[in-house]
Amino acid sequence: MADQALAAYSAFTNWTPVKSPTLTIGVREDLTMASFAAAKGKADALKAAILKAYGVELPSSPERIQGRDIAFVWYGPDQWLAVAGRGSGAGRDIEMELKPLLAGLASVVDQSDGRAVVQISGPRARDVLAKGLPIDLHPRAFKANGVAITHASHIGVILWQTDAAPTYEIALFRSFSDSFTHWLLEAAAEYTNHA
Amino acid sequence: MSSQRYRLASGGSIDRTRTLQFFFDGHTYSGHPGDTLASALLANGVTLTGRSFKYHRPRGILSAGSEEPNALVELRTGAKREANTKATTTEIYDGLEAASQNRWPSLNFDVMAINSLLSPVFVAGFYYKTFMWPAALWEKLYEPAIRRAAGLGRASEKADPDIYEKATAFCDVLIIGGGPAGLTAALNAGRSGARVILADEQFGLGGRSVDDGSPIDGKPAAQWITLAETELATLKDVRVMRRTTVFGTYDTGTYGAIERVSDHLAATPQGQPRQRLWRFIAKQAVLASGATERPIVFGGNDRPGVMLAGAVRTYINRYGVAPGQKAVVFANNDYAATTVTALDRAGIEVVALIDSRPTPSDFVRDIVSATETRLISGGVITDTTGKKRVSGVIVRSGDGDTINLDCDLVAISGGWNPNIQLTTHLNGKPHWNEALATFIAGTLPPGMTTAGAAAGTFGLKTCLDGGAAAGTTAAVATGFKSAAAPAVKAENESCEITPLWRVPGSKGKAFVDQQNDVTVPDIELAEREGFRAVEHLKRYTTLGMATDQGKTANINALAIMAELTHKTIPQTGMTIARPPYTPVALGAFAGHHRAKEFKPARLPPSYAWSKEQGAVFVETGLWLRPSYFPRAGEEDWLESVTREVNTVRNAVGICDVSTLGKIDVQGTDAATFLDRIYMNGFKTLAVGRARYGGMLREDGILMDDGTVARLGENHFFVTTTTANAVKVSQHMEFCHQWLWPELDVQMISATEQWAQYAVAGPKSRDLLRKIVDAAFDISDKGFAYMQAGEITVCGGIKARLFRLSFSGERAYEIGVPARFGDALIRRLMDAGQEFGVCAYGTEALGVMRIEKGHISGPELNGTTTARDVGLGGMVSTKKDFIGRVLGHRPGLLETDRPSLVGLRPVDKQDRLKSGAHFIARDAEPSAASDDGYMTSVAFSPSCGHWIGLGLLKRGPARFGEILRSYDPIRGENTLVQVVAPCFVDAEGGRLRG
Repeated sequence: MADQALAAYSAFTNWTPVKSPTLTIGVREDLTMASFAAAKGKADALKAAILKAYGVELPSSPERIQGRDIAFVWYGPDQWLAVAGRGSGAGRDIEMELKPLLAGLASVVDQSDGRAVVQISGPRARDVLAKGLPIDLHPRAFKANGVAITHASHIGVILWQTDAAPTYEIALFRSFSDSFTHWLLEAAAEYTNHA
Repeated sequence: MSSQRYRLASGGSIDRTRTLQFFFDGHTYSGHPGDTLASALLANGVTLTGRSFKYHRPRGILSAGSEEPNALVELRTGAKREANTKATTTEIYDGLEAASQNRWPSLNFDVMAINSLLSPVFVAGFYYKTFMWPAALWEKLYEPAIRRAAGLGRASEKADPDIYEKATAFCDVLIIGGGPAGLTAALNAGRSGARVILADEQFGLGGRSVDDGSPIDGKPAAQWITLAETELATLKDVRVMRRTTVFGTYDTGTYGAIERVSDHLAATPQGQPRQRLWRFIAKQAVLASGATERPIVFGGNDRPGVMLAGAVRTYINRYGVAPGQKAVVFANNDYAATTVTALDRAGIEVVALIDSRPTPSDFVRDIVSATETRLISGGVITDTTGKKRVSGVIVRSGDGDTINLDCDLVAISGGWNPNIQLTTHLNGKPHWNEALATFIAGTLPPGMTTAGAAAGTFGLKTCLDGGAAAGTTAAVATGFKSAAAPAVKAENESCEITPLWRVPGSKGKAFVDQQNDVTVPDIELAEREGFRAVEHLKRYTTLGMATDQGKTANINALAIMAELTHKTIPQTGMTIARPPYTPVALGAFAGHHRAKEFKPARLPPSYAWSKEQGAVFVETGLWLRPSYFPRAGEEDWLESVTREVNTVRNAVGICDVSTLGKIDVQGTDAATFLDRIYMNGFKTLAVGRARYGGMLREDGILMDDGTVARLGENHFFVTTTTANAVKVSQHMEFCHQWLWPELDVQMISATEQWAQYAVAGPKSRDLLRKIVDAAFDISDKGFAYMQAGEITVCGGIKARLFRLSFSGERAYEIGVPARFGDALIRRLMDAGQEFGVCAYGTEALGVMRIEKGHISGPELNGTTTARDVGLGGMVSTKKDFIGRVLGHRPGLLETDRPSLVGLRPVDKQDRLKSGAHFIARDAEPSAASDDGYMTSVAFSPSCGHWIGLGLLKRGPARFGEILRSYDPIRGENTLVQVVAPCFVDAEGGRLRG
């Protein structure tokens, strides 16, 4: 028995994706994520290691940077969240990938399951998010690679923008997924119902 | 259906191509899109719309806006019935149903009108005086009787069926009000490129320019407004929000607003809310909220047909309705004279313009001569005649002669009050302006300016120019370049005024506040009785309260009080407004968060499986945890819980413990950090081992407990109680960031990363052997009690295994990445079938921890020290840690502090109750004889009777003693024996075996 793998179970059990001309809402269950925080005095060495391995400079302010097959999301002073596609088969495991790379430079913690990620995109995305997020997402106030650690509908979230469509990804603690999507679908209802 | 007899042949911003049907008090009427309920009723000749609050006097429509005190209706029916809705702001839709309020049995014949004859009883302060004694009758008799006799509409008393939303919007410039000043402000600010929100409470923009029908830029006002709206629509960062009332000013440029999204529709469209509560966050705000006309107080001034002069113009110009056929205009100012022009143009006979000023201005003279209207200078109205509608006025001329005039409409104006409420919400004090005879804004909230009539700068041209300048200034203040267009052409009306607040020597009842039925004699009475301060005046007379907040009453009232006390108006003072500017439905403040969605729910990894099993859930914080898993044939929760406990004690059980807080702590100083956080030491903890830990608050009181596993030299995995997960995280972050930033330690929550199950019972290892990959030795030797490690399960899935026990049995906690949590519990249950496995919930968990004497929330209650709960031996004396110093305060070391003991009933049949107090067997129950209390109880399947834990003075020294467990509230008085706080396997052999 011990040789049968376990099936993954969705964090989102009670919702349907949204696809309308002005609004798309989906979930990202294909991600592997790990948080890493610089060890005392090792932030520069850590940044150099990431630059060498992935060709990108870790941001020092709330921004997301896209590297080769991986993105880094600012997550606090000297803290980041690495986000990448898990891929197929055995799949990529960012925690396992970063641990040897950052040994002695950072503490790495798997967050692939701790956070559930929702993606919302389209011209109406800002209107929907305005119903729960207390932050300004206007392009003049929030960069196309901006990151915010905030709350939506009383649920703590990390939000990052990935393009100017605009597309946002919102990471929240997995256990809140049902409550979060319930709010999100209600907030989106006026742009998705064409009765 | 009636024929809208009083609809003017042309004019107004209504859509005459479409006709709507609506119902008022069961009668069918028609109107047009663009009508309010008030304008449509007037078009149908309905002028009696309600009865007054105390005296049940017939009342009609006084105004054309949100200041309306009288024309309140119950709108819609059933659960959607909304009381006290202003007919003057309600847009009609096809099929609208409204009913008049506060009348019985009908509006035309109201028996409570007898209150009018009883008016000596209902004077100011009648609540306080008349029904003083005996107090016992207040709730049962007086208040219900008063509520029936006096009051407003009826609430539906059903759950609100509508959907509400909340949203936040940001802007550079918020413009409050879409009249002439607001529109030019929005145009100039918008043209500069600033992000602009223009919010207007009405459904049609234009404000008084449309109401007055004055030309702008050589075009009719409505036409110019349309052009302005068209231009605003082309500016991409300008958002025009109609039907949106900004109701409150809050800190740092935050404004509250309510958008009536679908109140104007028969039914809320799918996906839309009824209303949306907005939080606007604005760098600058332009208050262009206009002004509200105030009446003059005279006898019989509440009779239907007496209407504010500005409202008369609004009904004619905006709605194309004749509010009467034969009008008298009574005013103390020039602006009101334009009403004569409007009436004349609409073909309504103007009987006279009664101007209280002895000498007419040129402006007035020009109007009366152009319209050939009779002017009575220096005249006042002392009374009106008529029953349910005014039929005439009694005028005292400047010479003192009495003149009787027949009319069915009295247009009145006592001047205008700038709508400065939003400037006072942060405690800005208004200033009296003698020339304008009104209050204007004093100190403004940061970032706010006023423009147009709201600034006390009256006249159409002045408003257009003032708004334009304010819009430009606000945009420039937020970093944009001025893009002002050439000034708009328009004419100013003259606004000269000589104040007249009330007509001395009035005959009939003269109302100051029509909504609350407050008359001039009420104010005189308040003055005589010493309630002269404006705040006292308001509370004593109820003036200025309720749905209109005295918008047409307050200034007149305090001016009358000033006259009575021989003071100036500024000396008399003014009550300042607080939010909301107009009433806001409570549902809008709740938004999405009501009923089950009141707060978010957190679902543990086994939730779906547990639901399939028919688990009964319990809220623990936000988490929904299985409380127990009833099986067919079990009679009650106790039977299920007993089975679950017995299964764990004799075979194996599985419990989802993922909700416990999990904090990943790493760094070369991680052990040092934990040593300072916990009362016991962790430097000596070997890699691959776990240890129970206790954490104190700074004041020496126990804060939380849990386990710490050392996964590597510099890597620890901390667990907290479910309830304190966030608090402990914050505490640790605080300690690192603020107390010891020099330490090399990093921490992050991993609570949700791991689905973690307790697998407990003598068969737990046999069960796990079928799950854990073969490479890992989990024998007693290979994986002893309190061991911890990273393993793999089910063929290579990364997992963590901890040999911990809360139940007192051989037990493990096994963690896998949360997405595998659902599959793992199914796999564990399958694999455990041969061992008789069952799932157990928080109830069984609680029973077993009480049987073992483990502390939980009731003992970790913010008053107990480590020693109080029997953990004194864990407190390190070899190191410093948070809580050590204050934990040594004498009071916390006293030997007779209540300390943890076990309790069992002397009579095994007795049930114990938590919360019961301990007293000596023969003592009288009193605070002095109180020796402590029962913290936790459970029926112990292992003992076969109820057991308890409690905090007892000198507890550990009293084992064997028999006490009374006394609970006067629930009538409990049980003999209990004090025992050691452990009822099962005191030696702990089962844990290790």
